[in-house]
Amino acid sequence: MKSSPIQIVLLLVLGAVAIADESAEVTAVPDDSGDREPLLTVVPVYPEKARRARLEGEVQVCFNVSRTGKTSWVAVRSSTNRIFEKPSRDAVNASTYRPLAADKVLSGIKTCRTFRFHLTPVAIEMPAQAPG
Amino acid sequence: MCVSATAKQNSTVLGPSNPDLYHGANALLAGDAEEGVRLTLIGLRYEHGGRDRLTGLSNLCAGYIMLEQLETALTYCDQVLEQNDDYWRAYSNRALAYVKLGRFEEAEQDLLRAEALSKNARTVKIVRSMLLDATDPVAPQVVIDDRRQPADDDEE
Repeated sequence: MKSSPIQIVLLLVLGAVAIADESAEVTAVPDDSGDREPLLTVVPVYPEKARRARLEGEVQVCFNVSRTGKTSWVAVRSSTNRIFEKPSRDAVNASTYRPLAADKVLSGIKTCRTFRFHLTPVAIEMPAQAPG
Repeated sequence: MCVSATAKQNSTVLGPSNPDLYHGANALLAGDAEEGVRLTLIGLRYEHGGRDRLTGLSNLCAGYIMLEQLETALTYCDQVLEQNDDYWRAYSNRALAYVKLGRFEEAEQDLLRAEALSKNARTVKIVRSMLLDATDPVAPQVVIDDRRQPADDDEE
């Protein structure tokens, strides 16, 4: 896969981003105040059924992050459309954080991540006809 | 295989009233457009009116779309709608043929009619999305927001 400029920026910001849906453009807004640093951020697949029906939505998922950086107890906290919930949960389940340093105490606070699914209009121009 | 004649002669045979139309429909559903069209054409020889004839004509329209013979497909959809202008499958099929031909305004008209007749039909929804993809394409975008929300503090 050829990396687009936005993906390269994300690699710097988030450590790594796994693009499950290669057709989707990805924008990441990191949290500077958090005590856990994302290591691998998996991007949810935009459901084809939703794309076809021109559905957009937002899902907030909250979860625990273990000392080793694995996510667990992944739960949807709010959602505008159920169609986006499973891809969001799957993405968080597959994502990881940097392991906690030995001298740090594991916080009991849940981590939350919000996924916004948007559709942007695309302008397509037909190529010129070859001269006959 | 042509089984309609035998079936017509023997009224005790259980099964579809027109086996060729039935097997033709199954072939179309299985993606075998050539066999589906062939059997449906045979089946239609024994149907001169009624629901089965409309079904066969509508399936022929679908089959010729699968074979990319779009103008032929349109003639069969037109025949269905001349006999029954409430036949949503024919509107849906004809809309698909129009989309493939780039005749988007006619596709829109047929889709509106199909949606009015059967608003939850999956095939109608798919044709609608194909029309939208042709006329108003969209690209998916996902924003991942890790910022702490004020309500996050409620979580324990």
